[in-house]
Amino acid sequence: MYNTERRPSMAERRPSIIASSAQYSSSSLVVPHLAGIEDPLPDTTPDKVDVLIAGTGMVESVLAAALAWQGSSVLHIDQNDYYGDTSATLTVDQLKRWVSQINETMLPCYSNAKLYVSNAIGNDNRKYISRDFGIDLSPKFLFAKSDLLSILVKSRVHQYLEFQSLSTFHTYENDSFEKLTNTKQEIFTNQNLPLMTKRNLMRFIKFVLDWEKHPQIWEPYATKSITEFLIEKFNLEPAQVNELIFSIGLCYTADTKVPHALQRIRRYLISFDVYGPFPVLYSKFGGPGELSQGFCRSAAVAGATYKLNEKLQSFDPTTKVATFTDGSKVMVSEKVIMSPTQAPRSHKHVPKQNFEIHRLTCVVEKSCSEWFTNNESGAVIVFPPGSLKSGNKRVVQALILGSGSECCPSGTCIWYLSTTEQGDRAEMDLDAALEAMEISIIRESSTDIVNDEDIVQITDNGQTVVNSVKLGQSFREYYPREPVQHLLKLYYTQHTSTPPFDIVAPSLFENETTIRANKLNKFTAEAGDNGVMYTAMPSTEISYDEVVTAAKLLYEKIVGSDDDFFDVDFEDEEEMMSNPPPAKYENAIIDDEDADHDMDADSSEFVGEMEI
Amino acid sequence: MHGIKRKKWTRELINQKKIHDRERINHYRNLVDKALLARDSNVYDLDSLKQTADILQLNPELNVMWNYRRDIILHIGDSFSEEHWNRELIFIMTQLKRFPKVYWIWDHRIWTLNNHPGSSLKLWKAELDIVNKLLELDSRNYHGWHYRRIVIVKIQSHSSENMSKEELDYVTLKINQNISNFSAWHQRVQVILSLIEGNEIDEKKQFFENEVSYITNAMFTDAEDQSVWFYLKWFIKSDVVKESLGQKSYLKMLESLKKNIIAINDDDIAFSGKGNKRCLNTLINIENIQKKFNPSLELHTKEYLQILIEVDPLRKNRYVHLLSNL
Repeated sequence: MYNTERRPSMAERRPSIIASSAQYSSSSLVVPHLAGIEDPLPDTTPDKVDVLIAGTGMVESVLAAALAWQGSSVLHIDQNDYYGDTSATLTVDQLKRWVSQINETMLPCYSNAKLYVSNAIGNDNRKYISRDFGIDLSPKFLFAKSDLLSILVKSRVHQYLEFQSLSTFHTYENDSFEKLTNTKQEIFTNQNLPLMTKRNLMRFIKFVLDWEKHPQIWEPYATKSITEFLIEKFNLEPAQVNELIFSIGLCYTADTKVPHALQRIRRYLISFDVYGPFPVLYSKFGGPGELSQGFCRSAAVAGATYKLNEKLQSFDPTTKVATFTDGSKVMVSEKVIMSPTQAPRSHKHVPKQNFEIHRLTCVVEKSCSEWFTNNESGAVIVFPPGSLKSGNKRVVQALILGSGSECCPSGTCIWYLSTTEQGDRAEMDLDAALEAMEISIIRESSTDIVNDEDIVQITDNGQTVVNSVKLGQSFREYYPREPVQHLLKLYYTQHTSTPPFDIVAPSLFENETTIRANKLNKFTAEAGDNGVMYTAMPSTEISYDEVVTAAKLLYEKIVGSDDDFFDVDFEDEEEMMSNPPPAKYENAIIDDEDADHDMDADSSEFVGEMEI
Repeated sequence: MHGIKRKKWTRELINQKKIHDRERINHYRNLVDKALLARDSNVYDLDSLKQTADILQLNPELNVMWNYRRDIILHIGDSFSEEHWNRELIFIMTQLKRFPKVYWIWDHRIWTLNNHPGSSLKLWKAELDIVNKLLELDSRNYHGWHYRRIVIVKIQSHSSENMSKEELDYVTLKINQNISNFSAWHQRVQVILSLIEGNEIDEKKQFFENEVSYITNAMFTDAEDQSVWFYLKWFIKSDVVKESLGQKSYLKMLESLKKNIIAINDDDIAFSGKGNKRCLNTLINIENIQKKFNPSLELHTKEYLQILIEVDPLRKNRYVHLLSNL
């Protein structure tokens, strides 16, 4: 059953790590590049562990690493022959198997999977081969200032990964993509913004950076919608309101409550200029799939045992013995933690997954570089409510990754679309967004139009005139002539117990886990999952923000407190010297409070005050 | 602190550190004593040059060592080859990377370049690239901006080209990147004065009218930012601006600025109920200038000062004093 078809692992891709860690021998002592998980099928499993974790998704992997470094003995298993579970990055062949598992209803929490793969992808002399592609099941990006990023650095898991910047956020409006105006520089230099709008926008951006300190401004609006707040209190125009709520705040609806939305808008703005002029990063070679693998490696270094192709048959909370489908057993002294996707066949306690996330992943045969900023290979496109032909009530978010991300071959691009819309409407919205993207990329990448003599005419006095009627026709005619080639198209619905948006409210996980913990004492006959604590399925959140909160709460449930969550202290200061942390860029939005100068001083001596 | 390991300072550790520090201090003192002795005995050779380098790496602030170093180089004379001079520049650069804000190092760099036997124009043009890089890393390092002005003057004097226009573009770029860049606004003043002096601007009136929109744009983008207001203060009082615009346009410009500043101030009152101290101070300045041209103009100074006492309590007594002088 173990399938060898896979993407190259981190270590195979980057032999440079070995070279560099040999050079700085100290760091190789701390985080060996490959310890542990290169043998995912060990001959023997331990007799006794503190914690058994099933599923190598993002949250479970972070949890495994945190527990392992804290000193717990961890057995981390996955029923699949690859790492990542709900966060996996899959090749096309792996994706085919995954889809058929869903459709054979062998995989809970997913439904309605439809996959189209073009003839151009195959393993026998086709244009592309299956493992040229790394498709994320729950694509995400990382804010430059976020919990997960600090943990990546602290745990040194970042050494296994490569990150790339993403600075382009487009908002879809009136059938076109508008680029964001969100930095002081852009606001200052944008010729199209009226002066008062510049002022209002800057005023809001400054306010939101420490909004909690100014209750007099937002409290009167605490239960109102962010839209109302931005229009009434800050006199912002609809275009800016949409940008702030949907692209910067990444909210799903216009009636998001003020504090929620402010929190999310702030998250974006404080991430800007931390490592450079961009708010978010994504990991090369695959998103959450890579990150979970990184954390698994870290856990293995700290002593956790890994076993793929392993599935729980049942757990007996009285004897504390976990039995696997291959007949092996392990004694678990503390807890069994499990992703709902890994539940034993005889499960009875998997929490209700009440919310749907609809996803459409499309690989197109176009580079889509028109959407990226120079030297980047990723972009985010947001379709606000009402902007699509389908009359969408909720936002459609799209994460675009080009070949520079090493997730797809040159000349192709992956479009990840998702919506929190429920039911049948969702697929209509996703289709409408896909169509809008196709039209836009054809329009933007077509160079033929300017060269078409019928459209661009040069008059007698040398002026260039564009025939707009013909130009419009040309767009319409152009579209069917060369449609965007789909190499792969995948629809699926993922179910989750996390309502859209609740990543910032830890009470959610608290309640969930408390309820589950209470259930521990009610054992159900013939249930294989008595006493098992289930993790939450990935939520709609497009950033990694939920991950640390969820892992921390589970950690607290097991250890008793989260005080020593990743309290790792690698005894190695020399290494810091040879690998200094990235330089801090100056934040162009927050002013340093320069000492005020005396305005009364004779100003013809302006020079003196500014000099050294 | 981020990225810095917590250290528990036990008595044992403190003692160890003291012993370690004592060794380092003794080592440093010995080096300095030896070097000063050599200097007093008029020793000027490559060995003593090496000694000064060792000391300056420990403490770049010891200017007496830079002086001694220069004396040594001058005494060595012609046998201090071009290769030596180049190595000197590399030595200074490594020092600057570690200590970008030590005056003596910048001084020594200028001296070295002035005495370097190579092509001056080539050397100083290379310096311009270096300073561009430096200001990219830290756009508000005033040492960088000061050095930039010196480099520009040097290039101009060796090539007889006027670089003010390029310099204005550069400064505009830096301000666009961050309008709170005080040094860049200051450089803007210098560059404009130099453009006028060199008669480099054909359409002076148009040029300064564009400048007014640039300032207005900055004012609206961030009315809390003091560098814009400082620049504005220079601008409205500058004779160069007044003469270039002509009296009629100059007065029109003042009136239009005043209107916009009042709009910003009113907007602040509408939002927070408070007037804007920078607006009010500037309005007082503008009206004082207008009064000189139009003695019958009714001033709002008293009203503005009374509001300023409320909104700018730190300078309350100054405003009270100004009120009493009216």
